[in-house]
Order: sequence, then structure tokens, then C-alpha cells
Amino acid sequence: MSTDTAARAVSSGSASSPDASRAARKAARRAAAARESVPVRLYGLRRGTTTLLTLVCAGFAVFILAPLVWLLINSTKTQANVYQSSGFWFARPFRLFQNLAGLGKNISGAGVYLRWLENTLLYAVVGAVGATVLSALAGYGFSRFRFRGGNALFYLVMSTLLVPITSIALPLFLVYAKVGLVNSVWGMILPSMVSPVGIYLMRTFIDATVPQDLLDAARIDGAGEVRVFCRVALPLMVPGLLTVLLLTVVAVWNNYFLPLMLFSRSDLYPLTVGLSSLSQAAETGTKAELVPVLITGGLVTVLPLIALFLILEKYFRGGALQGSVTG
Amino acid sequence: MGRQTIREARPAPARAVGADDQVAADDAGHAVPAGSVRTGRLRPTRRTGRTGRTGGKGRGRQWPGAVFIAPHMVVLALFMVVPTIYAIYTSLYTSRLIGGTRYSGLANYRTVLSSPEFWDGVRRVLVFAAVQVPLTIAVAFFFAAIFEAGVVRFSRFFRTVFFVPFAVPGVVAAVMWSFLLLPVFGPYSKAMSWLGFGHVDFFSSGMILPTIVLIVLWEWTGYNMTILYTSLKAVPREITEAAVVGGASLTTIILRIKLPMVRPTIVMLLFLNMVGALQLFTEPSILAAFQPQAISYGFTPSLYVYNTAVGSGEYNLGAAAAVLLAMIIGAISLGAFAVRRRNGEFR
Repeated sequence: MSTDTAARAVSSGSASSPDASRAARKAARRAAAARESVPVRLYGLRRGTTTLLTLVCAGFAVFILAPLVWLLINSTKTQANVYQSSGFWFARPFRLFQNLAGLGKNISGAGVYLRWLENTLLYAVVGAVGATVLSALAGYGFSRFRFRGGNALFYLVMSTLLVPITSIALPLFLVYAKVGLVNSVWGMILPSMVSPVGIYLMRTFIDATVPQDLLDAARIDGAGEVRVFCRVALPLMVPGLLTVLLLTVVAVWNNYFLPLMLFSRSDLYPLTVGLSSLSQAAETGTKAELVPVLITGGLVTVLPLIALFLILEKYFRGGALQGSVTG
Repeated sequence: MGRQTIREARPAPARAVGADDQVAADDAGHAVPAGSVRTGRLRPTRRTGRTGRTGGKGRGRQWPGAVFIAPHMVVLALFMVVPTIYAIYTSLYTSRLIGGTRYSGLANYRTVLSSPEFWDGVRRVLVFAAVQVPLTIAVAFFFAAIFEAGVVRFSRFFRTVFFVPFAVPGVVAAVMWSFLLLPVFGPYSKAMSWLGFGHVDFFSSGMILPTIVLIVLWEWTGYNMTILYTSLKAVPREITEAAVVGGASLTTIILRIKLPMVRPTIVMLLFLNMVGALQLFTEPSILAAFQPQAISYGFTPSLYVYNTAVGSGEYNLGAAAAVLLAMIIGAISLGAFAVRRRNGEFR
């Protein structure tokens, strides 16, 4: 099949020698980066400017990292020590593991953290994968086809970027109340699949990286539209897909207002709504040790996303810069 | 993909969105002369169009585009367009315990518009946006520019660190900061009094807005910086080189050459940040648990909508407030769009 050959020819460019050429590729990338930017010495900077600017960055990095360090340290404390000991140093007793265990318990009827984690994973995975698939299809449709009303529909999609979440969550709730979708998992997942940013990114990405000639060649060889999309275009879109996936996972994972509106049962909450209910319970009630659970829960909420971001960041940044599949 | 999916999914956006038909006519009026070969060709494919087999030349060139966007348009229609229309409809009715639901025209809008709480919230988010948005983008541009110029050591590390808050949910950010800024016990309050600023209450009614500016700055600077950095990377090297040869300083190059070249990106970011700022909800709603007296139920328009609809169960009033909020944001967006277009920055 010539469509396969075409696709393979494109992707094999960088995938041919996987391990041996990694260092060479890295060096080439560095050389390319050097070619792109002007050598610093040409700016004729005063001595010490670089050091000064680096110190400014370090100061801002402290500002950025301090809350996360605080979160890490205080997840090891008892409720009393969160308030009484120094915020940026450890205190005895060391309670990290008890606090983690607390995430599996239902304290003061606020709900069970692990259940929220499960829910969040479900919403984020299904919602984000759905959003990525729909964005890929729509981005491809907008980028590679001209049809009546296409431009107008594209502007309609882009204009949804400006619709306030507040103004869509309440109407969704009202409609759900009519059709019985309140407290339904699908009520949360399906709206998450609308991603105007994803469509915009995919369209731009496809415009830049998927050659029309390649698609036409595949068609002349007798491939159908579905086949052209899946076998020729899709492999070329991988870096763009990963970018959209990352952005939509973060968006669903961090979504607060929509689930706050939709769910009245705490066993359906995602982490954001669960944690806010914990935080309210912690502030108003004095019963059990809710504060350590809240802080440890916050830490566990943040870690998977930071990990995902650090893993994928390298991938999509490299991919986006190269504009091709990296195998 | 089965034939049924395509058959059913395809016409749906046209009907559900309710815009396709007029829009298509509009579009044809502008771009394609009426009755041209292109327009004529679309109709038959509507009837026959099915699998990709027909591909190739001529017919079947237009329908695949519509099929590819159809799934998204269906979801968009069902989960955004329909609810919006329903919200407008609901806002025109009033429900009473006795007498049920009645058409009440614009009464709900009058109630919201005459509520001082609502206007206080609108004024507050406007002040908030006027401070927070330019500040965030200025700081983001400063870092993006010095990173891109390569005059900072370990810049790759810093870029990654600054972007990290993007991965932190607003709820968690607000919880962390509310502990950090606790009066008396919080480490930042302690540091302030140790530095000689006396007792600073970050949650007092005078300080609550600056506190939220601080939190939002923490959350969004890195994201804006990353986008600006990518955009700065696209400035051709030759331009910078020419300026360097001409004896321009780094500050001049950044402010006089690179800044104007990334202006479209900055305008877009101003715009997106502003839309976000006007919807401010998560941070104040979390802080409200810590300091209820500083944050009233109409602290921001979004809180007003939520508290009216869910807190007090006045859904019709909440719907009217939601529609009004969307209209205010829409008006500001259109204004910004018009300015942008006049400046020739419309793409």
C-alpha cells in the first residue's frame, strides 16, 4: 500500500537509528538553537548583569516554589503543628504516613479522598482523550477541507473561548435538572470534550506540518478519507496531539466550577470539589484532624500533574520545535 | 466507523447549532458566487455521501470536512448552545412556591441590575483585572525576554519552575496560600512583622484584593511567559543581529524591536487573561471559608451567580445574572476586538 509507505517514509526519518544517534541529535538540536539566537557577548553587557538577572530569576523561583515546599513539609505534621511550628521546617512527630492513610478514611463525613482521586482520573482521562480526539478530527476538518460555512463555524468555535465558564455551568445544571443528568458522570465528561483551544492548536499544527500533497498522493493511490486520516495524517500529528492532551488533562483535572454545580453527592466529586469541601469543613468544624488530610490531599493532587507535565513537556517541546514525529 | 454514525452525526450540527444554514448562505454570498459549481456540488453529496471510498477527484471533496468537524459540533451544540438558549429562556420566568412558574419578562434582569451587590462585584473584578492582567503580562514578558536573549544562567531550569503552577489546581493554590498568609500564625505574616511592617492581615477587607492578585500572579505568570517565550523565539535572528551591529543595547532591542514584533501575542494574552479575571471565582470562594467577613456573597459576579442560584435556590435570578455576566464579558471582548482590528492586528 502506498499510503503506508508514505506514512512510514515520513516517520522513519528520525526513527531509523533509535539509540545510537540520540547524542548526535541532541548536539544537532543544540547547534540549531545556537544558530537561532544571537551570541550573548555581542550585546556588550556590563559585567555582573547576567549574575544580577540570574539572581532575580532565583528570587522569583523561590516565590514560585515556596508554597509547594510548604505543602510538602506540612503534609508531615499534625494539625497543631501546622499552626504552631515553623511553616518552612519539619516538626515532630513525623506524620506523613498517617496523613496519607487518612486519605482513605471518611473523616467527619466530609468524604473519602481516594474516591475523589478515582473520579478525577476517570473524568480527566475520558474527558481529555475525548477532547483530543474531537479536536484532532475537527482541526483536520478545518485545516484540510473547504466547505460551505466552514469559516463561520470555525469562528463560532473560537467564540466559545470567550463564553464564561460561570455562564455555561449554571445553564448546564438547569438543562441537566430537566433531563435527569444531574449527578451523572457523563454530565461532567461530555462538556469537558469541548476544547476550542485544542481545535485552534490542532488546526495551526496541521496547517504547518501535514503536507497536502501527501494526502492527495494517498487519495490518488485509492485510499479513502478515513484511511488517509488514520494512516497518513494522524502519525504526523502526534506532537500536536500530545500538546492538546496535556492541556486538556490539566483543564479537566483543575476544573472546579462545573463539577461544583453538577454534583451534590460527595462520592462523585473530583479532587478540586472534594478538597474545597474538606477546606470548608476544616475551617468551620473542630472535630477531627482535617487540616493534615487537606494538606496531604493537596500534595497528592498536585504531584501526578507535575509528573505528567515534566514527562510530556520535554516530548512536546522537542516535537513542536521539530515539527515532525520523533518516533 | 459505521455508516449510521456518519449518517446521524452529519446533519446534526446544522440543525442543532441552528446557524449553519444562514451562515452557509452568508458564506456563499461572500466567498462563492451563488450557484457556482462548488455550491451546486455539495447538495448531491449530502444524499450519497457515505464512506471514504468515493474520495479521489471532484465529488466528495467537501463533505469529509463537515464529517470531521461533526462530532465536535454535536457536543458543542448539546452542551453549550442548547444550555445557553435554555438559560436565556429560564431567565425570563419566575418560579414561586405558590403559583408555579410564570413568564415575567425582564423582571429578573431588573432585579439583578438594581442589586448593589451585583454592581459591587462587577466593579471589583474590573479593578482586579485592571491591576492583575497588565502586571502578570509585564512580569511574564520580562522573564520571557531575558530567557530568550540568553542572558540568564540555568534558564531552562527557571523556565520549567515558573511553569509548574500551571499544573496546580486553583483550589489547591488558594488553600496553600490561605495557610501561608494566615494572620499571626502564617509564615508570611510572621515575616512581615519581623521585617518591621507590623501586623499585616492579608485577609482584611482592604487587603483581600491585593492578596488575590498575588495568588493569581503566582498561578498564571509562568503560563503567559511560556507562550511569550515561544513567540519571541520566532523573531528572526537577522533583525536582532542588525540591531546589535547598529549598537543597540539589550534593553533597546527587547523594548523597541522584540516587543512590537510579539504585540499580537501580547494582545491575545491580555484578552484571554482579562476574560479569566472577570470570571474570578475559585480563589475568593476558597478564601471565603477562611475569612467569610471579607468576602461577601456577591464579591465577584461569578460568586453572585453561584450563590444566587445554588445558595438561595433562585435559579431564574441566577440565570439572568449569568446571562448578564456573559453579555458584559462579550461587550468587553468585542470592544477589544474592535480596537485590535483598527490597529490592523486582526488576523
